[in-house]
Amino acid sequence: MKRLYNKKYEQLSAYIDNELSEEDIKKLEEELKFSKQLQEKLAELKKIKQLTYSSVKPIPENPFFETRLASNLRVKSPWYQKYKKYSPVYGIIALSIILMIVLKYNPLLIDKVVEQQKSNITAFYKQNLKPLLFAADLTNEDIFNFAFYNRLPLNNDRKQYLQLGSDKNGNQFFEIKTAGLTPNSSNLENFIKGLNLNVKQQKQLDSILTSHVSDLQSQVLVNDKNTVAINPNIWNYNKALAADLISFATNVDRYNLQKVIPPNYEKLYNAQKVAQIINDIKSTKTNKYIFLTPDSIFSDQYSFNQQEFNKEMQRWSKEMQKNMQEFGKQFSNFNIQFGQGFAKLKKDSSWDKNFEVYIDSNICRVHIPKVEIPQINLPEMNELNINLDSLTNYLRSFSFRFPSHPGKNYKYFYSDSSKGFNFRAYGFDSTYTFGNPKMDSILKKRFKNFGFKMNPDSLASIFKFFMNDSTNYDRQQNIQRQMKEFQKQMEMFQKEMEQMQKELKKNVPSKPTKKSVEI
Amino acid sequence: MKIKKEKEDLPLPQILNLDDDFSLIKRFIEGDESTFNTLVQRHKEKVRNIIYLTLGNNDQVDDIAQEVFLTVYKNLGGFRFESQFTTWLYRITVNKCKDYLRKIKIRNIFTPIKDNENDLGYNPNSEDTDIKEIVHKAISKLPDKLRIPLMLKDIEGLSYQEISESIQCEIGTVKSRIFRAREGLRNLLKPYERELML
Repeated sequence: MKRLYNKKYEQLSAYIDNELSEEDIKKLEEELKFSKQLQEKLAELKKIKQLTYSSVKPIPENPFFETRLASNLRVKSPWYQKYKKYSPVYGIIALSIILMIVLKYNPLLIDKVVEQQKSNITAFYKQNLKPLLFAADLTNEDIFNFAFYNRLPLNNDRKQYLQLGSDKNGNQFFEIKTAGLTPNSSNLENFIKGLNLNVKQQKQLDSILTSHVSDLQSQVLVNDKNTVAINPNIWNYNKALAADLISFATNVDRYNLQKVIPPNYEKLYNAQKVAQIINDIKSTKTNKYIFLTPDSIFSDQYSFNQQEFNKEMQRWSKEMQKNMQEFGKQFSNFNIQFGQGFAKLKKDSSWDKNFEVYIDSNICRVHIPKVEIPQINLPEMNELNINLDSLTNYLRSFSFRFPSHPGKNYKYFYSDSSKGFNFRAYGFDSTYTFGNPKMDSILKKRFKNFGFKMNPDSLASIFKFFMNDSTNYDRQQNIQRQMKEFQKQMEMFQKEMEQMQKELKKNVPSKPTKKSVEI
Repeated sequence: MKIKKEKEDLPLPQILNLDDDFSLIKRFIEGDESTFNTLVQRHKEKVRNIIYLTLGNNDQVDDIAQEVFLTVYKNLGGFRFESQFTTWLYRITVNKCKDYLRKIKIRNIFTPIKDNENDLGYNPNSEDTDIKEIVHKAISKLPDKLRIPLMLKDIEGLSYQEISESIQCEIGTVKSRIFRAREGLRNLLKPYERELML
């Protein structure tokens, strides 16, 4: 409609310029008679035309114009004048020829320049690298979490984490991610509770954790240029730390630990063996770090002088408290920005093609298939971690997958995986089937593993499930008591669900959208 | 047949011969360079005006006009008499102006932006309202491709056909650009509706 009116107005503009054909004029004048809008527009356009005309002041005459022109005509332009306009082309040609000659006699020039630039950038990002401890102010809880949960906070406010992991093929990766989930800050406490440690034993545990802090310092370095440098040996430290803690736990409470650790592992974790492992790791030093910067990702040699750093710190602390605070301030603002620079990594996977980078708004995952992690004979921890879950009160998140099925939609809410989850499942009930088995059997089978039953019919529109909070778990108590509590909760939950079901039945969408979701 | 032959033999009326641009150009090509002066005298004001209107100021008007006539002088020998002399002349003029504006734009990239760049330099509450000045400044804010056809039409009174040949585009485009220029001008002058009685 607007476009149509614009065309009409354009006609009006041409009309006042007297540029319309006779036929068009007649047509337009007919329309003008009946349209007030067109009449108003016509008046407006006329006014604009008149204003335009009256706005221009005549320019004063120049009586010497012809005289100047005549003298200009007499002046013969120099021969090069007519070639002057091609000067940029000549410049480019000359430059290309020079470049070709230079490259002919110095074929490695570009490589050298690129290498030089690389080393300049590398040097730039290597400046002022300091141990993570000063940026994140690691606590014993953080070290504990690193041992069993493979994650270390990168900054003071715990908003970003470094997470170590390995994919299905056994390739290592690390992630820098924003802490979307609320980090649980009582894992160490629960561990202590679980093993019923006395004050002396707690001090022992603290001393174990603190002893690893200084070693971990040089494994992850950060600086004010948004760089994170990770020593591949950190994967070994991670395992060694866990081994050390389990060895400690074995000594403290062998009976309870046996329940969660297979007997053959227990043999592995005697103090002597662990001491040997830790010595091996400490003696296997590698100076090759993986540098993650906003511009690139690369691995390079870097030697971090721990002793010099310690001396510097002592000097600083002696000099002035103020200086120390400023130093702290400098790093307390450390925050990896997943901005344009990082986005570029995804496309142009940097210089070192060994790395596979996955980036989204809050995760930067780097697969490092070809970076060598120092080979140390360490026990396999993956299986062990499953059992450790019991010890650390089921704090580890669990997951299961609903098969995707076209035409059905599952919307889920995933708040704190360590405590529970809830989700809405629209449009399926007991009659809904996944492949061959019916929903009933799937749910019954799935939830049997958790020690309770669910009636699929009550899931018509929503069901909610809470795991028992880990802080309530007490190793010394009978598990049956927990199950009773759990059953009580489930009964309450069932009542709630029945009530909610009534309310939500009204809101069940008639046509679910075509989207499946993994939980 | 005989009458027709006699008619062809008759010399053209002297007055038409003198005034006609084509005749002057023919004589120039035959070697009479004094006719160029007549052409300059006849068209210089129009050329200067177009330059002034296109640029929006008179600082460079004479310099560019000199360049226009120098170009005309150098290329007049190759004039093909396929279009009017004025069309050719205006096209050279508009092109020279465009070249100049392009240079200015490149220069402006390296010049800091003035604070009052988007201001029409007028305070609506001020008593000494200079409407001409406001409109003039508003016109100078229009993009070149809209301002040039508008000026050629409303000030110089060229037809759409002449404008299309001067700026080398379709008549429909000229028509559309002139309308868009007027609409743009109306928007720019909106804050002064009351003073301008729009």
